[in-house]
Amino acid sequence: MKKMIGFISVLALILTFAFFTNQTKTNTATKKDLPIVGVLQLTSHPALDLIYEGIIDALNEEGFIDGETMTLDFQNAQGDQSNLNSMSARFVSRNTAVMVGIATPAAQALANSSQEIPIILGAVSNPEEAGLVANNEKPGGNITGVSDLTPIKEQFELIKELLPEAKKIGILYSSSEDNSIVQAKQAAEIATAMGYETTTLTVSSTNDVSQVSSSLASQVDAIWVPTDNTVASAMNTLIAATDANHIPVFPAVDTMVEEGGLATIGLNQYELGKLTGQMTAAVLKGESDPATTPVQYLEQGEIILNEEKAKELGISIPQTLLDQMANQ
Amino acid sequence: MDLIVTATAQGLLWGIMALGIFITYRILDLPDMTAEGSFPLGAAVCARLILSGVHPLLAALAAFIIGALAGFITGFLITKANMPGLLAGILTMTGLYSINLRIMNRANLSLLGKQKITDLLSRYNLPPQFDTIFMGILLTVLIITALVLFFKTELGQAVIATGDNEKMARSLGISTNRTKILGLMLSNGIVAAAGALIAQDNGYADISMGIGTIVIGLASVIIGEVIFGNLSFANRLICVILGAIIYRFIIMFVLLVGLQPNDLKLISAIILAFCLALPSLRNKLNLNFFNKKEVL
Repeated sequence: MKKMIGFISVLALILTFAFFTNQTKTNTATKKDLPIVGVLQLTSHPALDLIYEGIIDALNEEGFIDGETMTLDFQNAQGDQSNLNSMSARFVSRNTAVMVGIATPAAQALANSSQEIPIILGAVSNPEEAGLVANNEKPGGNITGVSDLTPIKEQFELIKELLPEAKKIGILYSSSEDNSIVQAKQAAEIATAMGYETTTLTVSSTNDVSQVSSSLASQVDAIWVPTDNTVASAMNTLIAATDANHIPVFPAVDTMVEEGGLATIGLNQYELGKLTGQMTAAVLKGESDPATTPVQYLEQGEIILNEEKAKELGISIPQTLLDQMANQ
Repeated sequence: MDLIVTATAQGLLWGIMALGIFITYRILDLPDMTAEGSFPLGAAVCARLILSGVHPLLAALAAFIIGALAGFITGFLITKANMPGLLAGILTMTGLYSINLRIMNRANLSLLGKQKITDLLSRYNLPPQFDTIFMGILLTVLIITALVLFFKTELGQAVIATGDNEKMARSLGISTNRTKILGLMLSNGIVAAAGALIAQDNGYADISMGIGTIVIGLASVIIGEVIFGNLSFANRLICVILGAIIYRFIIMFVLLVGLQPNDLKLISAIILAFCLALPSLRNKLNLNFFNKKEVL
């Protein structure tokens, strides 16, 4: 009992102290030292880490160097969604000049914490659908950034080029990832418009992948997979099932091609980060205002092809495609 | 300093969730896995309702009611279908995954720019996070008072008796099936309401936000017990909240020290295992430095 009351009073004391010091801090925070750039990353993940590297490199190129012309505050929530909130609050209380969010939940946490500080999105597929901006063309608020929407249309054109006879396309994704659901919906629309018959199946965890993918592989001529962490983790399982049916897989991510997919047109994560960094620098310099800066897309996608897999499946690669690859 | 403030704010909200876990784990003596499904269920229902214009407080209340329904299903499976409690909870939790997806219609629902419970305090211009802290204190006081009053009633005592000794309770004419179902409904209702509050605080509901809630809840209950000892009923509930706050401090400390992110779950498991083992370790080694006063 004594311990309990003791703990509560110590906590209350700290909080009262924080209450009043915070109050004064927000009132007198006019010290203009180096501008603080707050970067919030959802978790450590190869793709997200590359985006972060790109952001820092672009900032350095634009003349913003940590400790010299800006103060970098990098926070990684390590995948725990309850940490995102604390870290966003930290940025706001430090009066950062600009905040950068890598991955959708990180961006949502930032957006939730401030309506004034400019926020740049690194890798959010569709900011409008995620409720982050009013409109992708005219964001209207304090948020803008880069979309990592995969070039789905180009990927389906690649399928047409490699498999002219294919009629039925399977779409496989995990129902727990919002990103994937958005992409799969678009992919189904694009495929139907191109005259394909589509079958969509979902998995809820890596445990389902084996069964769902063999069922899907037996029904279709090719399978398309979005940027999906669950399927990416179970890529070997998927490939085992599709190989048994001699069906090629067209994933949206380059690393998944290396693991047994046939081909893709993918975005370079590092380049996405650089674009994000450039937008951040422009806001820091006062050259652009998030409200009027449209969400940007990375235009050029790279063709990535697994020639070994093509040979295995007996798929011939058209010369035009080989030339295109040689030029990129 | 800011980190202590945010950890306290988060701890208060997660503490409400831990109160729900406390009811099943300590009072009913039944480890209930439903919570991993009813937590995101509450978030999903609340997000959906807020997006269609419902007041955030009403949305949280609706989350409570629907969470209680989830608890009813687990209770039904345990009492009427004679399933082991653990299995019944896992079944409900698994089923809720699909239901949550149906409710949200996608994996992540954003609440940005929508009215939240903490916005009710926005006119006072509190420093950052203090709106969550004040709202959290207000809600925990309300919920703890309601729970204390409820467990003082005849019905509440019957629930406690069921958890203490089911056979004895039945011999006293208590319908233990009914009290078990009631306890599970109350517990999952509170867990779902906490899910609703945390979704509002985070600014989104996510299909995978339920993962690990049981560990967080149990850790809060046990840390509270280990540190503050055996107290009266009302004080034990307060200690659950304090346990949740301390758990947040520990996580914050782990992050500050810069340990590998991949090890975080292992670290939480070790902390929990340590806290669970501490009472018997203390007896074995005769280390009474924690409880000296109580022992004397």
